[in-house]
Amino acid sequence: MFFSSPPWDLPVYWALDLETGGLDARQDPIISVGMVPIRAGVIQLGEAFSTLVRPEAGRPIKPESVRAHQLLAGDLRKSPPLRAVLLEVDRRLEGGVLLVHNQGIDLPFLKDGHARCGLPWKKPRVVDTVDLIVRAATRRRLFRPGGEEMPSLNLGEARRVHGLPDYQAHDALTDAVSTAELFLVLRHVIGAKRLRDLR
Amino acid sequence: MTALDPVSFIRSTPPFDSLPQDLFDGAAKSLEVIYHPAGTKLVTVGEEPLKHLYVIRKGAVRLERAGQTLQVLEEGETFGYTSLITGKATLDGVVEEDLLAYRIPGQEFTRLLSDARFAGHFAAGLATRLESSLEHSPVATFRVDLLAPVETLVRRSAVWVDDTATVGDAARIMVTERVSSVLVRGEPPGIVTDRDFRMRVLAKGLGPETLVTRILSRPMKSVESSLPVHEAWAVLLEANVHHLPVMRDGEVLGVLTDTDLLKHTSQGPVAIQRLVEKLPDRGSLPGYSRKVTEMVASLLAGGLNPVVIAGFVAQLNDALMKRILHWAEADLGKPPVPYAWLALGSEGRQEQTLLTDQDNALVFADEGASSREYFTALADRANTDLSAAGFPRCPGGYMARNHCGTLSEWRDRFAGWVADPTAEGVLEAAIFFDFRSVAGSLDLAPLQEILDGIPRREAFLRSLVRQALDFRPPPLLLLRLRGGNDLDLKRQGIAPVVFLARCYGLAVGSQARGTLERLRAATRAGLMGPEASAAVIDSYRYLLGLRLRMQLKAIAEGKAPTNVISLSQVSGVERSRLKDSLRSIGSWQDKAAYRYQVS
Repeated sequence: MFFSSPPWDLPVYWALDLETGGLDARQDPIISVGMVPIRAGVIQLGEAFSTLVRPEAGRPIKPESVRAHQLLAGDLRKSPPLRAVLLEVDRRLEGGVLLVHNQGIDLPFLKDGHARCGLPWKKPRVVDTVDLIVRAATRRRLFRPGGEEMPSLNLGEARRVHGLPDYQAHDALTDAVSTAELFLVLRHVIGAKRLRDLR
Repeated sequence: MTALDPVSFIRSTPPFDSLPQDLFDGAAKSLEVIYHPAGTKLVTVGEEPLKHLYVIRKGAVRLERAGQTLQVLEEGETFGYTSLITGKATLDGVVEEDLLAYRIPGQEFTRLLSDARFAGHFAAGLATRLESSLEHSPVATFRVDLLAPVETLVRRSAVWVDDTATVGDAARIMVTERVSSVLVRGEPPGIVTDRDFRMRVLAKGLGPETLVTRILSRPMKSVESSLPVHEAWAVLLEANVHHLPVMRDGEVLGVLTDTDLLKHTSQGPVAIQRLVEKLPDRGSLPGYSRKVTEMVASLLAGGLNPVVIAGFVAQLNDALMKRILHWAEADLGKPPVPYAWLALGSEGRQEQTLLTDQDNALVFADEGASSREYFTALADRANTDLSAAGFPRCPGGYMARNHCGTLSEWRDRFAGWVADPTAEGVLEAAIFFDFRSVAGSLDLAPLQEILDGIPRREAFLRSLVRQALDFRPPPLLLLRLRGGNDLDLKRQGIAPVVFLARCYGLAVGSQARGTLERLRAATRAGLMGPEASAAVIDSYRYLLGLRLRMQLKAIAEGKAPTNVISLSQVSGVERSRLKDSLRSIGSWQDKAAYRYQVS
């Protein structure tokens, strides 16, 4: 039996971005989280959620990552602990679709974080704008064989390619909003009608 | 372009930049982001109106009426407010270039209107969009007079309840009568509004059985029926109320809402006009040019089209002119015979936005031939004062001090140009035939009669057309637009329309001076097809707007405004509109060349 996939704009998408203290989910801490929902194809900035995360013992922030996000341990000390933050994240993701730019980075951090805090990772459906960029490029090549090279997967670059304005990068919430907007454009470019066309 | 996140972008975009922080923060909480690809229909006339106020971040939206483009809105521009304020979809809105826009819900917009500066911004924009939305419909005469008494806005009599009524009674009556307030009988009478239901009933946990006397406001803030519209606006803002009973002979005539008033107001020009009328002396002239420039910039930002703005500027310039002549007469004594001060060229056509070179002349009655010195001195003072106010003197311009003569002299001059159209004569005729009497009591009918005879003057008309066709859009435009070429918007776009419109207007015996009125007259008379006419009008408006935006930008950057635009600096939308505009002007010129057998 076939279960038909819902129209693309029926589910609620939560665009999420993490700023981390490095690139290794097994060693480095999550230091901030930004989320913003897309309901019926409209980004709801008023429902945005963003917070810094209190540093965990034994997971220092790598100096080279500070250059990007400009957050120092001192800024974070009064912030809620990871467990409380992840509960907030999960509460929002309940029944929705997780939208990230490059799941290869964010997902391991989320999964590992949940495991550390003794929380179950509920495996939400995931849509990744990096996949969509590749598909949009493939689609263009179909119509124009021998065309362009590999598209840039960088969030800011991809936004520029698709005519979106520049936003300040490396702030978790702004990157989440950036991802959400890019998603709306790419959804149109690849002509996705149903959720399954996006996954 | 600096990298701004949505909230910072909105904050830096007029009129949001002038909002108090708490009001802005409230609105920012409900901010949404939408994306629509090119071709999406956002709103259709007569169907569901828009429910949000939109601010364009990227892309463009085309406003249309019956398939004709009225306006193309771009980054930083807002739309949706005519829908929100009138509750109707009065224009079609189509996405022209992939659109990324931020929006706030209608009820938030309404809340922001409590801020006077914010509301004023939309009042100005609303007037034009309503005007343009009606322009092609039979009720095209719609015009709002800000000096009209406020009673002209009252559409229905007030709805009353007794002081024994309950809140439930009042609410039911308001729903059936479709009003947002009721008056309560009593001494003095009071008023209950839908806001009171929210703030004083629901928020306080009261029920429908509550007596209206418990929540009403009295005495009511009201205005006299004879008060001008613009003053009623000020009362409303000062008292911070949303409903304003209008009184005549101690009786309530009706109740105006802030929405009624907002539909009918635009404050800037009124304020400056008052200022001009009260200018104490010549010493206060130098700031005038800057004031007008600021007003023009804010009206343009408010969404007014340049033709409407030029109308306001002309009113102000006229008021200034009267003031200046009043001083000159005070210095020199009462004029010995009646005279008239003529504005020529763009000032005569009421098409000036930023102040340009003086073009004026003076005519006095024949009986004053021996008083020529008086009038030359009068003109000299007036020319000097105009320079001080910021109208530059120009060697090529026409100044009254050198163009000062009796009515007969002028009539002979006019007649000479028409009878014997030399190249130089036609050039002067073109400027002088746009004359308009700005001040003075002399009857200029003898001059107008010569213009009225032009339809029978084939040779003159043909010369006039030939001269008009000296100004043309650049050739091979379609191929060259993408290069880094410069375009002179005045010589290659605006002047071709103005000059040919003058020919057509005069050819059909129209007494209008304005370019758009002349085009419309020619269309009514069948000299132009309605489609060509609409295309030329649209193009002309567009070019004026483009030039004005460019010049204001130059002024803001401390540069001298010019007419030359570099094509590499304009966006894609601008370029394609520019191309379309010049193309329709060119094809109109081709038709004219054929019709009058000139090449």
